[in-house]
Amino acid sequence: MNNSNDNVNFIVGDSTSIGSTSDTARLISNDEASTSNYTQFNKTSNYEHSDSDDLHGSHGIRRRHPVQKIEPGSMNMLSAKYESLDYDTCENHLLLDEERKRGYPFIVKKDMARWFIILLIGAITALIAFIIDICIEEFSNIKYKELKKSVDKYVLMDRLYIPYLLWVLSNICVVFIGSILVAYVEPVASGSGIPQVKCYLNGVKVPRVVRIKTLVVKAIGVISAVVGGLAGGKEGPMIHCGSVVAAGISQGKSTTFNKDFNIFQYFRDDHEKREFVSAGAAAGVSAAFGAPIGGVLFSLEEGASFWNQALTWRTFFGTVIATFTLNFALSAYHGHPGELSFPGLLNLGKMEPFPFQFYELPIFMLFGAIGGILGALWNYINYRLAVFRIRYISTPWLRVVEACMVAAASATCGFLMMFLLNDCRPLGEDPTKVPLQLYCADGEYSVMAAIWFQTPEASVRSFLHDPLGSYKPMSILVFVVCYFLLSTWTFGLAVSSGIFIPNLLTGAAWGRLLALGMQAIVPSMTINSAKYALIGAAAQLGGVVRMTISLTVIIIETTGQISNALPIIITLVVAKWVGDFFSEGIYDIHIQLAAIPLLPWEPPPLAHNVYASEVMSHPVFTLRTVENVGHIVELLRLVSYNGFPVVDPPLTDDAEVTTYKRLRGLILRSQLIVLLQNKLYNENANTSWPNLNVDMKIFRKEYPRFPSIAELEISEWEKTCTIDLRPYMNPSPYTLPHRASLPRLFRLFRALGLRHLPIVNDVNEVVGMVTRKDIARYRVWRHCGHMGMEELVLSNEI
Amino acid sequence: MANPIMLFLFCLCYFTRSVEVSDENKLFPHLQYIENSHTLPVPEVCTELLNNFAQSASNFTLCSIKNAWPVTLCKECIDQYVMFKSKYDELLKTVENGTSCKTIYISHDRLDAVLEYYNGILNVWEKGNCNACYDWSGPVPVLSNDTKHFDKMFKETMNCIATNSTTTNMSDEVCERCMQSYLQLDLFYRSLSKDSIGLDSVCFDIVDSMNTTRSIWSKDLNCCKLRKTPEVIFLVCTGIISFLPILFYVAVRFCSPIRALPNILKESRFKQSFLRSSSGRIN
Repeated sequence: MNNSNDNVNFIVGDSTSIGSTSDTARLISNDEASTSNYTQFNKTSNYEHSDSDDLHGSHGIRRRHPVQKIEPGSMNMLSAKYESLDYDTCENHLLLDEERKRGYPFIVKKDMARWFIILLIGAITALIAFIIDICIEEFSNIKYKELKKSVDKYVLMDRLYIPYLLWVLSNICVVFIGSILVAYVEPVASGSGIPQVKCYLNGVKVPRVVRIKTLVVKAIGVISAVVGGLAGGKEGPMIHCGSVVAAGISQGKSTTFNKDFNIFQYFRDDHEKREFVSAGAAAGVSAAFGAPIGGVLFSLEEGASFWNQALTWRTFFGTVIATFTLNFALSAYHGHPGELSFPGLLNLGKMEPFPFQFYELPIFMLFGAIGGILGALWNYINYRLAVFRIRYISTPWLRVVEACMVAAASATCGFLMMFLLNDCRPLGEDPTKVPLQLYCADGEYSVMAAIWFQTPEASVRSFLHDPLGSYKPMSILVFVVCYFLLSTWTFGLAVSSGIFIPNLLTGAAWGRLLALGMQAIVPSMTINSAKYALIGAAAQLGGVVRMTISLTVIIIETTGQISNALPIIITLVVAKWVGDFFSEGIYDIHIQLAAIPLLPWEPPPLAHNVYASEVMSHPVFTLRTVENVGHIVELLRLVSYNGFPVVDPPLTDDAEVTTYKRLRGLILRSQLIVLLQNKLYNENANTSWPNLNVDMKIFRKEYPRFPSIAELEISEWEKTCTIDLRPYMNPSPYTLPHRASLPRLFRLFRALGLRHLPIVNDVNEVVGMVTRKDIARYRVWRHCGHMGMEELVLSNEI
Repeated sequence: MANPIMLFLFCLCYFTRSVEVSDENKLFPHLQYIENSHTLPVPEVCTELLNNFAQSASNFTLCSIKNAWPVTLCKECIDQYVMFKSKYDELLKTVENGTSCKTIYISHDRLDAVLEYYNGILNVWEKGNCNACYDWSGPVPVLSNDTKHFDKMFKETMNCIATNSTTTNMSDEVCERCMQSYLQLDLFYRSLSKDSIGLDSVCFDIVDSMNTTRSIWSKDLNCCKLRKTPEVIFLVCTGIISFLPILFYVAVRFCSPIRALPNILKESRFKQSFLRSSSGRIN
């Protein structure tokens, strides 16, 4: 109710016992006669009477749904199923032993191994990107060539429905393959993968996100999505692929294939793995766009929690290797082997430096504002669709059907536009790959067919580089509307495709449309259509994803022109501001819909009056330094927590006395599991502990998939044994006093990537535990100039 | 020998502008020497070659501009082109008394007029792919078989169109009568290049003739009778396929099984335990 009382109780409870019972959670087995009425796991019913005060949240913070049930698809919820990653190094005795044995030569070796792994990550990521690129190009070529033949043949016979149905069918077939894989084999491979990688780098363990199965599904999925004519790009999935490659190579083993190469064991923990994954994501960006610096900045912008100089340098090395490898492979493929600066390798095509005048800056801002508004609209439509999908389209086969329908609708959209819009251009003036005559005169081709009969990426290049008069305004307008809706409809389907290219395409199209408009208003001025198409593309993408630094650099690098930086930056800044006024970025929306406890960059403002004593979970399940096996097993079975403070045994066994116990260390569930699995316990607590040959290897062997407690077989007699946890626990976990404020807790979590933070009182006794979810539930919302903080609810059924 | 040349170069650098002035006025006595040395090292042969080259270039330019539209410059200006090319080669090769004409006229100054004009003319020729019109295997280029064949078919088609449009006023009849030859022409043209557009390798005279024919055929005569029927089946198909997603969404919206809403997890907080314990104590 009121804080002062809370704190008073702390002090009173600590110093003198006023008949209150143990405030540390206990197991039933230990003291069956316990008077504690709220620490028994199975009897949660006695919590119910305090529901009335849940209306207010913990600190008078607005809580939108003070109810027991919650509609799926709402944003103010966190899933309890997501665990955090352990970035904190456990400085136990084993680690010290290992360091003593290995010495400095090992450090040198490890550093060299790091560089070698980064090299491999860059090269392999680029090769995968190359394979994806080539498959998409070749299959699309075949598909559109055949369709062209069919159209050419049947248009004369007035049977256009045959090529149309052929197109629909080919789209559906190809998308069906990818969709089946995504929906049934690996659902986490759906979408672009950037939200998942972002969460992983933020410290959330997204299940199966960096497995090799995901990589395979993702690669095949993205090929099928793009070849299947969906309004999607291959960039996001490539970033995800890079992350998986990094996570795989750095471990020197594959759990999927049950193969251990016995190398790089020393990289088998979350901390090291995250560094490689962030480098892998950067290599993925670099391979997807040919933008090495953009890749480094992407991993800094989306992933890193603080500036790690050495890691940044290594990441840069990896991205350059990725670009180099990709360029080498692509140049050989395009018949210019060894020509690494071959301009055809630039993703969006080489852009000439465009001159801009001072008076054009407001025009760029206007473009940015339009991009922000359209991006917010895009996000809103996609958000509504995503909510609908969460609520009603959850079974895999429904998702497959939906994906196939969108594929059919994409073909329908394209064909109708070709059929209805009579936009013809003479052959040979513009570069077109598949000129389709359709209803045009001999020696002319249909502009709409040229745009639709190629991959979206090639269409972006066409819109950026074709001369001003290449498209009629009407065709562009129809195209913008159609593609805008198609792309927002496509994102979130059970296929793996990104949103970079579709949004660049939409933006380039409306940028060109506005350029045509300006030309009509001021006929005397020569309008550089490429300039406005590029600015439009940047504005649209910036309005949707709300990335700033990396997006600017990626666009600069893909067009090979640094002098265009200022217009792009101005546009992106305005697009982000305008977009943020209405809604959040699309990735954040999807992360929130997935109820993932992501920690933002900054702690909530005006939250210094929220104290750790309110944030923390209160009855803490602790273990004693020398603990009974049966107790541990019982505890692990009953609770889902992953970290347990290790405390001194109480001086008295009196249950009537308040016993906050003194903190000695912190032990993780995974460590306990390994200890039980290896039966590192003793029958008698008082015998001297055998100096078992235990080292860090037994913990690394099981990483990253530790067995669950249910899989362990512990016989009855073993439960009476005891374990000394002291050599294995982390003896110096980060702690904070109970009067620490929320921003302080937040910064500790964000910067150090903590997973558990014991809260102690003045005499270092554990009074509570803070985890990521406890902090992530305080979320700041912003909408149309208003902002506030809300407290989210937790659910483990999402 | 070296000394005068050095001096010459030196003076050239510093007094190039005043040289012409000094020719008439002889303001500076020491320029007398320069005037002499200026004319001395240019052999007669080179001057003559230069004049010939200039003449041939101007001939070609004249011819190509005259034949710019309709494009016939590849066929009409071949003689001028060959002459122009040979004069230039001669200019490059000729060496008189150890002095190459090339060193005198080409890459000697920033303007480099000779090379600029040469490149300009060559650029026009190559942009039009004019070499592709000819068979270059003999000593003199002759029109290649493909070109001759195309010309023949082209003339036939144009004759057909011309004669028929004077005799009949109905464009339909013209189309019908000339369809055969037009289609043959079109097919042959497509076979000439790999991409069937003809940009990469077909001589521009042919491209232009074909473009003209196509334009007359499909625009003036309106012989491409497309959109005869409104493609009802196609429109019905698109209608059905566009309608399917709406049906699908409505169906899943109203037919999907009602699932239990997810429960909210009870959080264990200090405040609650405090409230509980205090209320427990009070009651």
